[in-house]
Amino acid sequence: MIELRNVSKTFAATPAVADFSLKIESGAFFVLIGPSGCGKSTVLRMINAMIFPDKGQILVRGRDIHETEPEKLRRGIGYVIQSAGLFPHWTAADNILAVPRLLKWSPSKCAARLDALVALLQIDPTLLKRYPKQLSGGQQQRIGVARALAADPDIILMDEPFAALDPVSRAALQHEISGIHARSGKTIVFVTHDMDEALRLATGMAVMNNGRLIQGGTPASILLAPADDFVRDFLGGEALQLRLLDIVPVRKLMKPGKTRAASTIAADASLKTALNLMLASRRSSLCVADESGARLGEIHLSDIVARRDAS
Amino acid sequence: MRAGLFDKHLALISGSNAETASMPKVHDRILLVLFSLGLVVIFSGGFLNCAPNRLATGVAYPLSQAPALEAAAAMIGLCALALLSVSRRRKFRSFATILAAALILWGSLASAGRFAAILVRGGPPAARASLGPAFWTLASVAILALVDAVQKANFSMPARATIGAAFCAGFFLMAAAGDFDNLSLAREFSNNRGIFATELLHHLGLVCAAIFFALTLGVPLTVLVLRTKAAAGFVFASLGILQTIPSIALFGVLIAPMSRLSELLPLLRGLGINGTGPAPAVLALTLYSLLPLVRGFYTGFSEVAMEVKDAAIAIGFGWRRLFLEVELPLALPALISGLRVVTIQAIGLASVAALIGAGGLGTFIFQGIGQYALDLVLVGAIPVILLALLANFIFEMLLGLARRNL
Repeated sequence: MIELRNVSKTFAATPAVADFSLKIESGAFFVLIGPSGCGKSTVLRMINAMIFPDKGQILVRGRDIHETEPEKLRRGIGYVIQSAGLFPHWTAADNILAVPRLLKWSPSKCAARLDALVALLQIDPTLLKRYPKQLSGGQQQRIGVARALAADPDIILMDEPFAALDPVSRAALQHEISGIHARSGKTIVFVTHDMDEALRLATGMAVMNNGRLIQGGTPASILLAPADDFVRDFLGGEALQLRLLDIVPVRKLMKPGKTRAASTIAADASLKTALNLMLASRRSSLCVADESGARLGEIHLSDIVARRDAS
Repeated sequence: MRAGLFDKHLALISGSNAETASMPKVHDRILLVLFSLGLVVIFSGGFLNCAPNRLATGVAYPLSQAPALEAAAAMIGLCALALLSVSRRRKFRSFATILAAALILWGSLASAGRFAAILVRGGPPAARASLGPAFWTLASVAILALVDAVQKANFSMPARATIGAAFCAGFFLMAAAGDFDNLSLAREFSNNRGIFATELLHHLGLVCAAIFFALTLGVPLTVLVLRTKAAAGFVFASLGILQTIPSIALFGVLIAPMSRLSELLPLLRGLGINGTGPAPAVLALTLYSLLPLVRGFYTGFSEVAMEVKDAAIAIGFGWRRLFLEVELPLALPALISGLRVVTIQAIGLASVAALIGAGGLGTFIFQGIGQYALDLVLVGAIPVILLALLANFIFEMLLGLARRNL
């Protein structure tokens, strides 16, 4: 879907991105992660031609981005930034419909799309007539996400979209965007410096430092085999093992069969949740149940300790 | 409910307190200050000044000798300000202050007119009655109280315009009825009635031409300053130096090069461009307008939030759309503010243009100074002030419209 080939970009003699290659498959939730100033936002902005590379080639949907007029390319790619960047002189509804109107959709099509987005993102319809300054940060970002989704683009770029939000709004929006991704199969490229956020959302990720790609792969493969000390430190050093528990579901390690364990945990919960429940209930084994409550088997503390990962 | 009752009791108790009863609480200090100012000047300054002729120094007459009915009206209005300053109800205070201001203004105007008629009729044929400090203070007190009340009541722009129009209409009705005919100021005005309209139009013409040329030069300069930061320092420094040249000096300095230019280029001479007259005046006014205009425009555009522009580009706005739909509407309030400063400044400065023969309301001012006729100076100065106030009001209204959604 998106491919960067040996891309380099220098700003005023400081290299921002150096010899960077990356392939993002269609339908991926791809997270670019790294410390501030590592070039991850520059990579993102090169995908929709906000910045042109000095060297290398960028392909979007199999075509070099130079082949398409930048404005046209950008209208086909959703974009969300940290502070939402809503137009302060437009109502929430006008903000959401910015791209459909650029694409000259008919008013009835716009209205139908607005209704669909309001339902999808659970936006309170009374907010639509308000101006951005009359909305909270979380509400603004919800409108910002709706604006990115408005013209139903198959690619969405998100530049630290939830970094400035309170934990409750952030978790809600992460949940929302994760669900939208799962249902729609859109390709999402997501920039963040928050490792928990990255692990929660990513199907694929790339760790960057000093404009270079340090390690790419699935969250699990990176957690299991950090390429170097930088990646290990960035993943959280000593807490790395705990992080790993967060991405493996109980289902993977449970033993089918009868159980006498008193506490029950869902099969889709993470090992971290299971461990937490064991500590809380002071027991070393838990009963595993599916969504309907039917008992599937048992998970034991020793399984978690001795696990040979498997994800 | 309970708390309300309790508060009421508390209010009753504190109300019966001897101290609070003898010293009512002042809720509006401005009104009290205005009242005191008016009172002091009524007793210390002359209301009318009567002289045997236009040039002689006259005798000052206080308000107490003016016709009783009209003077009493003004006094009642003034005292009402003091009473209103202790009124607790804000809305009532605003409305009543407007009425009190009307009473002071009409009372002073009417008593000045009638008093002048009495004094002039009793004096020599060339006798002149001019307005004294007490009159001007009372009029200022009335206008300040009015403006303050209107602002505190937060009236809408149309309501403000209606109140302004009502006060103006009253004034013109009294003038048309001949109430002011015996005042020296009115005489100076009617002596110059023929050329007043011409000079007023001249004045407006100078201002409009200056703003037009300032815009034609200022807009490209703003673009330059926004595009290249290096140019910004140079442009603002040079415009800043222009701004520090005293206005009379700039008008004078332009005479020599402009007359040389007009000698060299017959085409310019054909257009009526000379060392004196409107051409150098418009040039000087334009130069003065450039700094506030470019600075206002520059601030307006550079303060449009970076992330908003960024988001606009990222979702596919082209340059033209970005400018017309995002930057321009967001910068508009600052653009209007810039234009307001420039317009008001040009209205004032255009008075000086009369010195180099460009005409305008300054003509009366400089004639008046030359003849030591203060009332003739006022024939020029008062319209200049009114024009500036009118321009301010119009720009406030536009600003309100531009800020509606911001």
